[in-house]
Amino acid sequence: MGLVTWARTRSPWLIHFNGAACNACDIEIVAVLTPRFDVERFGGVLKGSPRHADVLVVSGSISRKLKSRLKRIYDQMPEPKFVVAVGSCANTGGTFQDCYNVMEGVDKVIPVNAYVVGCPPKPEAILDGVVKLLKSAGY
Amino acid sequence: MSYVEENKKTLERFIEVVGKENVLDSKITKEKRFYVTIKVEKLRDAVTYIKEKEGLFHLSTITGVDYGEEREVNYHFNRPNLIFTIKVRVTGDKPVVPSITDIINGATIFEREVYDLIGVTPEGHPNPKRLLMTEEWPEGIFPLLKKWDVKSLRKAVDGEEWT
Amino acid sequence: MSDTEFSVPIGPQHPALKEPASFLFKVDGEVVVDVEPRVGYNHRGIEKAMEARTYIQNLYLTERVCGICSNAHQTLYAINVEDVAGITIPPRAKYLRTFVHELERIHSHLLWVGVAAHEIGFDTLFYYVWRDREVVLDILEEISGNRVNYAWNAIGGVRRDIPSDNIPKFQKMLDILAERTKYYTQVATTESTITNRAAGVGYCSKADMIRLCGVGPHARASGVNKDTRRDNPYLAYDEIPWNVVTTESGDVLGNVVVRVGELVESVGIAKYVLDHLPDGPIREKFSPMQKIPEGEAVNMIEAQRGEDIHYLCSKGDNKPYRYKIRAPTMANIPSLMVKLKGGYIADIPIVLAGIDPCFSCTDRMVFVDESKEKTWDMTDDELRRYGIRWYANGLNK
Repeated sequence: MGLVTWARTRSPWLIHFNGAACNACDIEIVAVLTPRFDVERFGGVLKGSPRHADVLVVSGSISRKLKSRLKRIYDQMPEPKFVVAVGSCANTGGTFQDCYNVMEGVDKVIPVNAYVVGCPPKPEAILDGVVKLLKSAGY
Repeated sequence: MSYVEENKKTLERFIEVVGKENVLDSKITKEKRFYVTIKVEKLRDAVTYIKEKEGLFHLSTITGVDYGEEREVNYHFNRPNLIFTIKVRVTGDKPVVPSITDIINGATIFEREVYDLIGVTPEGHPNPKRLLMTEEWPEGIFPLLKKWDVKSLRKAVDGEEWT
Repeated sequence: MSDTEFSVPIGPQHPALKEPASFLFKVDGEVVVDVEPRVGYNHRGIEKAMEARTYIQNLYLTERVCGICSNAHQTLYAINVEDVAGITIPPRAKYLRTFVHELERIHSHLLWVGVAAHEIGFDTLFYYVWRDREVVLDILEEISGNRVNYAWNAIGGVRRDIPSDNIPKFQKMLDILAERTKYYTQVATTESTITNRAAGVGYCSKADMIRLCGVGPHARASGVNKDTRRDNPYLAYDEIPWNVVTTESGDVLGNVVVRVGELVESVGIAKYVLDHLPDGPIREKFSPMQKIPEGEAVNMIEAQRGEDIHYLCSKGDNKPYRYKIRAPTMANIPSLMVKLKGGYIADIPIVLAGIDPCFSCTDRMVFVDESKEKTWDMTDDELRRYGIRWYANGLNK
């Protein structure tokens, strides 16, 4: 593979979006940064702005108020971009499936490339999801 | 235990101050759990009294319950070793309770939530806007009423069935 | 509105723990003049969903109101149902519930210290604290099987027991934690990186706190001596010796001091519980479709962020008629507004982080320049870096 592709695979810059989550997935995502799990050995950093990011990590069952915000953040990311849905709520709505204010799953709002299962998934699982995503994206 | 006696005396004094004819029901489920149902008109006097004279100045929360014909609003006050709940019942399509925000400043946010979910308007509230629902949420739809279930609620708000 | 005032929206990417919430700030130069909170981004409709599920199914749902206070909400729910159903839980179950309740408090306060350190740019402390937090999560994983959302409570007791062989190992791990929390107490109160950003910032007086019904460590930092574990005792707290931690300063440094003090207390309580665990069964019987009698119950516990109160109304069915959850952060919003007004824009992240906000529990940042008709958004990261640069350049002098 070319130099650019090699560089892209080795440095996935992540941005995290909390879509009305209960915070369990979020603290596991932040735990991925900490010394025990350490996403930085894969070249990943958590950025603050969508314009700098390659991978959008979404947690939470998206509430009605957040639908347009999520779409906007996704649109602001430059190509190539990937979306990882973390946790049961982001996958299908999870335990909040029949709640009136909840969109059932991130893929109802934006296209998703990888689903990480769990409630919440362990940090190792989240790391695994991001790494597998990059491998399988043809890079 | 001293607080048992103290709690009972608090209840007796409360009934006397509010007036026996204004107290519709009073229940003691446990030594530290008292529930008193009073007439809506006496709400502000009752709250002022317990705040100033009974040490019940901490309002934990306000709960709204939909009983179909009536809607009940519960004001949960507490002090060490007592949770004292004042209940009022209101009827009608657009029920109203007097706001207690000027007496208990912390009530401002709880009254807005009760309006948002159960539809009981706090009259005299400085900022009676919805708290939790989006700006696009239609007027007059209060999600926690028993007449809505999730399907009909989504239909009423979004217009078409969700997939 | 004068010519020089303008409002600044932040959000809904929240500055502190990346939770969605929006605040509309009206500012004059660098000083915040007014603030309006806009919550509801996290509102999922849990209370309505609870009315459609049985009591056992609701155990699963109440745990997911918030991932950090998950066990607190579930414990309170179980207490409420047992109250109406007339079930008394065995003593061993009481102590086991207390143990996990305190462990969760430890993990939450450690998480908070890390996040607060991150907000002021002190990332080293953030990494240290989160590494030590893993010790607590290891204990929790060993006794329950999961790091977060432990499914510890059943209606009538707890679901799993702690075998007595494991207790010496947990005692050792708690000893390590006791050492580390002593170190953090010292760092938090003497390290100038923290005191410069936290002392005198975000002040709320004791009178205002009482008037606005503030709860939890946020209220205890302003000198309000209120703790549900002592005032309305539940579980095993009336049998365990412990102290309420308060301080008088009323600012963000007060928040730090109170929380680190509570860390030390919680480790002590957890060790005491392990030493004095009574023998016996761990749960009473409660069948999946069991109906409970008609009645109502209201109970409070001291969750990590303050007094949590739930109300249950039952009509004799196997589903609740009405269940109300009022989580602590909602009660702290009015006093948060007092803390933000009169402060600098650069202080907003640390003051917001100071109340340990949990908007998932609550619900379920726009800056507007009206004079120039300019609206600009700051993302949470930009605001955080703005604050760090502002103080580093000595602009607060």
